Amino acid sequence: MSNTLTKLRYRYWPDHVFGELLQKQWMETAVPLLVLLLTIAFFSSRIDNFISPANLSDTLRQASELGFVVLGMSLVLIVGGIDLSVASIFALCNLTALYCINVLGLPAPAAIAITLLLGAVLGAVNGVLIGYMRMRAFLTTMVTLIVYKAIHDLLNFQLAVAISSVIPDVPAWDFLGNGDFLSIPAVVWVFAVIAIASHIFLTRLRPGWYVMAIGGNRRSAYNIGLPVNRVVAMSYVASGVFAAISAIFYASRLASPGADTGKGLEITVLTAAILGGIRLGGGKGSVTKAVLGTLIILIISNGLLRLATPAGSSRVILATILLLAAMLDIRWFKNRHKAVQELYVSPSYLELPKSPPTDAASPFALNDRLRNVETIGLGEVESPEDVILDKDDNLYCGSRHGEIIRFFAPDYKRREVYARIGGQPLGMAFDAGGTLYVCIGGMGLYRVRPDRTVEKVTDETNRSLLSVVDDSRLRLADDLDIAPDGRVYFSEATIRYEMHEWPTDSLEGRGNGRIICYDPRTNKTHTVLRHLIFPNGVVLASDKQSIIFAESWNCSIKRYWFDGPKAGKTETVIASLPGYPDNINLASDGNYWLALMGMRSPAFDLAMRKPAFRRRMSKRLPGDEWLAPNINTGCIVKFNEKGEILDALWDLGGANHPMITSMREHKGYLYIGGISNNRIGRVKVDGADPEFMSSGRYHV
Amino acid sequence: MFDAVSSLISSVFSRGSSLSVPILDGALKPNNMIEIATIVAERQGLEDLALGPDNTLYAACGQDVLKLSDAGDFTVAAHFDQPVTALAFTSSGELAAGLSNAVVIGGRTLDSADGKSFVSVNALSATPDGGLLIADGSASRPYAQWSHDLMEGGRTGRLLRHDTASGRTTTLGSGLGYAFGAMADARGRILVSESWRHRLSVIENGRARVAVPALPGYPSRLAPTQDGGFWLTLFSCRTQLVEFVLQEDDYRHEMMRSIEPKYWVAPALSSGDDYMEPLQGGSVKQMGILKPWAPPRSYGLAVRFNADFLPLYSVHSRTGGRNHGIVAVVQRGDDLFLLSKGAGRVLRLSASDIQSAWAKGTNE
Repeated sequence: MSNTLTKLRYRYWPDHVFGELLQKQWMETAVPLLVLLLTIAFFSSRIDNFISPANLSDTLRQASELGFVVLGMSLVLIVGGIDLSVASIFALCNLTALYCINVLGLPAPAAIAITLLLGAVLGAVNGVLIGYMRMRAFLTTMVTLIVYKAIHDLLNFQLAVAISSVIPDVPAWDFLGNGDFLSIPAVVWVFAVIAIASHIFLTRLRPGWYVMAIGGNRRSAYNIGLPVNRVVAMSYVASGVFAAISAIFYASRLASPGADTGKGLEITVLTAAILGGIRLGGGKGSVTKAVLGTLIILIISNGLLRLATPAGSSRVILATILLLAAMLDIRWFKNRHKAVQELYVSPSYLELPKSPPTDAASPFALNDRLRNVETIGLGEVESPEDVILDKDDNLYCGSRHGEIIRFFAPDYKRREVYARIGGQPLGMAFDAGGTLYVCIGGMGLYRVRPDRTVEKVTDETNRSLLSVVDDSRLRLADDLDIAPDGRVYFSEATIRYEMHEWPTDSLEGRGNGRIICYDPRTNKTHTVLRHLIFPNGVVLASDKQSIIFAESWNCSIKRYWFDGPKAGKTETVIASLPGYPDNINLASDGNYWLALMGMRSPAFDLAMRKPAFRRRMSKRLPGDEWLAPNINTGCIVKFNEKGEILDALWDLGGANHPMITSMREHKGYLYIGGISNNRIGRVKVDGADPEFMSSGRYHV
Repeated sequence: MFDAVSSLISSVFSRGSSLSVPILDGALKPNNMIEIATIVAERQGLEDLALGPDNTLYAACGQDVLKLSDAGDFTVAAHFDQPVTALAFTSSGELAAGLSNAVVIGGRTLDSADGKSFVSVNALSATPDGGLLIADGSASRPYAQWSHDLMEGGRTGRLLRHDTASGRTTTLGSGLGYAFGAMADARGRILVSESWRHRLSVIENGRARVAVPALPGYPSRLAPTQDGGFWLTLFSCRTQLVEFVLQEDDYRHEMMRSIEPKYWVAPALSSGDDYMEPLQGGSVKQMGILKPWAPPRSYGLAVRFNADFLPLYSVHSRTGGRNHGIVAVVQRGDDLFLLSKGAGRVLRLSASDIQSAWAKGTNE
């Protein structure tokens, strides 16, 4: 009963999605969004009419004014600095705008232009000091904060009366402050346009990428030739301009030259930016985050106001929020990868059928027939996952150094590097023209032409519809075969892990793999089968309309028809093997050779039915201590299309071939490879066709 | 502060304690001495060693007690109707044999003490004053099922003292985490191995006081040396995986129910011969070699301690070796005899060679 529940829970609850979601960039925006919703929910439950249209309109108006300054601050934060002087710039610009309109009687566009220019100049002072003179952002902007504030107080003292005594009649100016368009305040429209423009700037334009790059790593940005000084300086200018824009709207709405204008603005703005998720350390942030942060801060401060909280205590609350957000910021960025790691590995429920016996009466009967094989290239080759021979009997294998090694016939004592590819070569197949097709772990499907030129065939397939993480890149292509019409069918063992992380995939035991088809006529690649448990060992079946492949962690062999009356169907050939199947290749008698890279152990089989146990194991133990499939003993078996086991060859104790990942019959001999081995084995097959070659029939 | 809070949180929500296992370092630095030791004799079923009154070596093997000549020949000295699980000679020269649920001294058979039957007698050791220490590993599982007792978290071992003169048997300590080996040292202190607690304890006034804590393996039988110190055998090393499985009740119970004991995730006396044994990630052969630092399923280890319970040096057979599961040790002059239960061998090393190799640092 509880077993059934466990099965259902792991079948229908997508554990693996959470770890993948956490990896997405937009997850960092989801957190402030959640905070915003919670804040709104909290205050609307405490205050009547908190979300009334009038209230909303007013909130949006204030939010937009504040939002400009937050945008400017965000830009500076992203580039790796801080701008404390925004409050003073805001106050000075407010005073200037009012002076231009009320006292000088300038038209609105002129007043706006002058104010913006002033904001830019004030920002440029910061920019030059910090960008070009390399002064500390915090100290510099604190000094300008004080200096600008002092200037403001001096001017305000002289001009306040003059400004207050005039009530100007400039309709355009009033529209800015109080006008609506489609019943939404003008300031909101302007803010929306500028926010969208800023978003495009940061995410789609080259200067925006410079900003992100410099914030991410200033030294690297400098080393690749970015104009670091200029970009930093310009970000302060932009911050000043944004403060000026905000001041213009503020001035047009309130027309008040008060001495307290902009007091404490820098703290509010900083809190908004950090609460939105913009990193204090630079390099991370977005316009969306800035907007979310602004809304949260405004709703909190307005809500506190409506709850009649004393002014002092509401500032204490805001400051506390700033402190908490900054602390969270540091902790989260320090531990994010750990959280992702914790959530990413998500074992599934995998109940394997009972393991068939391997006793003397069984077709798997143990023997030592692989104990005394001839060894080729002992210690000269590392990780020959697959082996293949050409028409002239030369032997090819991959190595973990990213090379394809060729051993020369007839004695295989001499060798050369046939091709350098750069990734671990796995499954191989020749086409009729002598071009070697190779699956390369981490790279995709490659080919080596007879003149040794290496070409990429494909490294991506179509992205699946519901994938959270882009799964179009090939992560672990591992074996292939060529169909009569030249299409290449190959398996990708897992889309969730890299090649060296296969133990983690074995721990998950989920259908993470797929079968992919490359069509040379259209030069397109598409996925034909999904959700396979470590698919491996692809071979063309005798009807030339289907492929036979292995599912390693599922200990089964399946057959898929790509053509003919059964096209699109998948059938099981062998439901349960005593070990983990790897490559499959043709035998000269029309049957198939299958490599069992390791054998099943009862303790691991039981663990596969205990996903929670495996999850805790993956979290609490280092990888070397995990329970693993026993791949220290392997064997080679021969089977037919009915799924009957015809023969088995063993190396008990694993003296020469502890782990066998591939074998290839060629002219009466069987050649043996293993991905964790340092040799190739060769053993004579009794009664085999002395002219047989397993590959090279069809043209691609 | 965050660390304190997070450790508080994890102590509430996570299962059990830390899984760390002491590493082999210092006096326990690995070498290959047991692996390359001289093989004195080889025989399936070897269980315990003892030095007879005639200064010859005796071995318990199956249902027999065998006399082992220096040439490595066995002659039957005594035969019992059950497997012999422990062997010793009293100070008066009488043969004492443990039979899991009984102890035979001379011709007398003891099958209980303090009203409780013997269940798992696994070590005997004579004291100079004519007594015999009896380690009864578990009150629930016979000796052959020691791994059941480990997986059940056995804490029912007891240590007894039989007085050969009066014939009385008294309990020295109980509630031990598997008593497997006992000894009275030159200062008269009574030492007992507590395998499942990975420590050596001294019994004082009926209480066990920790003498050597946090051993990296499962301590088993001990043997005194001339200088007041002793040799301690550890029949296998601990692994984090076993510690983890000991905390995983659901998995462990189902494993015990449905899987043969030799395929359990549990320490073993030998390993590597059967592909159905569980394997750990680090034990996957790379380039044809099983790395000696891979997590050990079985291991060969004996440690020399001085009279102050400080480890001086040790001899090893590492992961991938044959001479694993060292359960008994006897020193006779310069000859150190070790019994590898995993390989079914009696091995010989020279005590002075070991000492000089460690002194010179050539003990690789």
